[in-house]
Amino acid sequence: MAASKNKGRAVIVAGARTPFVKAFGEFTKVDTIALGVAAARGLLKKTGLGHRDVQSIVWGGVILPSGAPNVAREIALDLQLDPACEGMTVVRACASGLQAITLAAAAIERGEADVVIAGGSDSTSNAEIKLPQKVVHALAPVALGKPTAADYLGVLAQLRPFSELLPQRPRIAERTTGEMMGEAAEKMARRNEISREDQDAFAVRSHTRAAAAIESGLLAEEIVPVETPDGRWVHADGLVRADTTVEKLAKLRPVFAKDGTLTAGNSSALTDGGAAVLLMREEKARALGLVPLAAFASWSYVGVDPADQLLMGPALAMPTALERAGLSLADVDLVDMHEAFAAQVLSILKMLASKPFAERRLGRGTAVGEVDPAKLNVHGGSLALGHPFGATGARMVTTMANELHRTGKQHALLGICAAGGLGAAAVLERCD
Amino acid sequence: MNDLLLELGKNKNARRLLGSLGLPLPLPESLRRERGPLVARPLADRAVAVAAPRGGTLLATIAETLTGAGADAWLLDAADAAVFQGPGETFGRPARLLTASPERMRLDAVVIDASALADAASLRALFDALSPLVPRLARSAHVVVLGREGLTERRAAAAQAALEGFVRSVAKEIGRVGATANLVRVVAGAELRLPAVLRFVLSARSAFVTGQPIVVDAVARPLPEPPWVRSLEGRVALVTGAARGIGEATARRLAQEGAHVVCLDRPADDGPLSQLARSLGGSALAVDLQDADAPAKVVAHLGARGVDVIVHNAGITRDKTLARMKPELWDAVLDVNLGAVERLHEALLPQLRDQGRVVCLSSIAGLAGNMGQTAYAASKSGVVGWVRAEAQALASRGVTVNAIAPGFIETRLTAAIPMAIREVARRLSALGQGGLPGDVAEAITFLATPGAQGLTGRTLRVCGGAFVGA
Repeated sequence: MAASKNKGRAVIVAGARTPFVKAFGEFTKVDTIALGVAAARGLLKKTGLGHRDVQSIVWGGVILPSGAPNVAREIALDLQLDPACEGMTVVRACASGLQAITLAAAAIERGEADVVIAGGSDSTSNAEIKLPQKVVHALAPVALGKPTAADYLGVLAQLRPFSELLPQRPRIAERTTGEMMGEAAEKMARRNEISREDQDAFAVRSHTRAAAAIESGLLAEEIVPVETPDGRWVHADGLVRADTTVEKLAKLRPVFAKDGTLTAGNSSALTDGGAAVLLMREEKARALGLVPLAAFASWSYVGVDPADQLLMGPALAMPTALERAGLSLADVDLVDMHEAFAAQVLSILKMLASKPFAERRLGRGTAVGEVDPAKLNVHGGSLALGHPFGATGARMVTTMANELHRTGKQHALLGICAAGGLGAAAVLERCD
Repeated sequence: MNDLLLELGKNKNARRLLGSLGLPLPLPESLRRERGPLVARPLADRAVAVAAPRGGTLLATIAETLTGAGADAWLLDAADAAVFQGPGETFGRPARLLTASPERMRLDAVVIDASALADAASLRALFDALSPLVPRLARSAHVVVLGREGLTERRAAAAQAALEGFVRSVAKEIGRVGATANLVRVVAGAELRLPAVLRFVLSARSAFVTGQPIVVDAVARPLPEPPWVRSLEGRVALVTGAARGIGEATARRLAQEGAHVVCLDRPADDGPLSQLARSLGGSALAVDLQDADAPAKVVAHLGARGVDVIVHNAGITRDKTLARMKPELWDAVLDVNLGAVERLHEALLPQLRDQGRVVCLSSIAGLAGNMGQTAYAASKSGVVGWVRAEAQALASRGVTVNAIAPGFIETRLTAAIPMAIREVARRLSALGQGGLPGDVAEAITFLATPGAQGLTGRTLRVCGGAFVGA
């Protein structure tokens, strides 16, 4: 395909998200598509864009509805956007949201579209309970053919022992290793010698900063209220605890290992929510009178052996993104890392600061550097706000783009860890 | 072929009952083995005790290897912690002091760097280090002692030679819990070739290798840092006698490492041979190695693609006492087991690519001699001499040439041995049991990988610590 002549830098114009709410809470009956619709609708309203102006939706999600896995297209249809607004849905575990946004930026920069909504949503409350595959296979001849009595008996014989038939509780576990994400993070805490105290302190800081951002009204600018099917309105994030302290967190019991250090307090919670970002070709945005906030200087996606340190990906992806942007860590004004677990963030910070790590795993002579706590997750992170898997990337891009624009700072570095041993990173630069 | 004692040994109650009866029946421990292709972190989460008495010279290599392979190092001496600092930080495997370990923790492996022991008195450090650890060894644990090869100062040479007797005896002592002990001797300048060897002897890939001295030298031209996973990708491996047993197991393992395997066996075994080749995505070559035109056929089959790994596994036995031996039987044994190896190798030399690997099958009988096996033993010890000489000839091309000497392996061949003799053969080893064809295949595969560049001209025994043979 010959690229269109309408090429140019892709810029982030605005972002919007639903409140993030603990799973099986107020959003229990709001599914992934509805959360996406809410975020995208809020975005349109905020920017005053018409329904015919959007050319494409790129959406990220982890727990996709099996009946309609292309959530992006469903959002476009439910929003009654122009039928020509096409849609695709991508999965890159917890990096799905960022993935959707960088894909949209790439498409714009290749000249495929001028106006794209990208983001993600997830509803853990609407995870489908699966029948064991054994049942599916055993039932196939009965369900799809002209079964005889013998077939039915055959099914029964195949199904024994019946104890295996109970629907499985969905687990956030690695397919290859069977390891739960929390167990992997617990291992990382032990292996990188991250103490319970440090994790709790980090979690408290996340809550304090998020609470301050809510208090000052910064986060309210990003959030659009959502009406639930029973007519109630949800206005604010539900997980942030302004009054939490290290003393309170210290009382919680470890959840992933008996003598472990990870608790519900220093791990991110299962969350429902959606977030969307509006991307445009820079000229188009300016022509429409919109103010570009930021653009991508670079991004990077990496994979590591899941049997090693499952959530260490950002320690490799962030230096790569910096290198591609021609920057060093010291050049960056803001760092925003997805907080799956306090232990995971602290482990990655340790790796970035380590010279031996840089030598052996990055092939460079000097450490990437120490991340200044004052620059890191300035408005809190997933520990406080929650982590609707697909939405987190778009939340981070929104907060950082707004922050760069608001403060006049130049660069923000993003880092996200994801299941399967994946890591994602991006560098945002402010638009003048 | 069923090993009744081994099966009994798996049963806790039977174990307890036999123990309480006080029968002199040593129940062998079922060995932990590793299946499938080699992995990047073969020692993931394994607890490995490390000691380097008198300032071992190989500690840095040990630290890099253990942490990179995923092991948790437990140090006997706090002074060694500094060396582990960087690698530990890199891989999230900080070394800790063994004295701080949980009391119930079992050791999956022990590494003692004895390279700095230079006189009789210093050998005391071996006793000091290992003696308290023996009761803490896990089942199928791996003890590895590292030493130096080629020292000339006489006291140091004596101390280093002493390691061998020590390790062989340790192997016999700890074999009853399925644990192995091996000695790795490193020639000065060959340190960079140690990691692959350590990964082999510290993992279950070497489950049936015990009581062995392994020399790592710098004879063959060096390689850049070898990959650990799928290291034979894009390479061609020829395995003779591939239809069954050790040959089949080897062909499967080489294919798992990514090699295109050419499976060679007699035309009579065409059925299983082509089935194997198909399942491995390799090719089958039905050739009788006793035929004069066999080498030419192999050369034609390999063609311009050449060959990277040659495993001379095909062999026959025609056992007769010397007094009853018939000349045609003698000739057949010598011709297939030694003559055919030489002929095929010489024919393939132009096609054997640089950094190639040649692995021959010798036998414990070739090292120790065996009643009724004069011809067989002669052919198999002939192989030992052949690899020693050929290794020198091919060193400049980076090609390594080695032999594997299997002990008692549970195959069709050994299943035919009368029961009483078979029982004795099984028990006459440190591990008290026969090996599996897969155990030999693991050792061959190890020698075939790029990481094994430090071994050439050697004979590696896969014998479970057989009580015979030098």
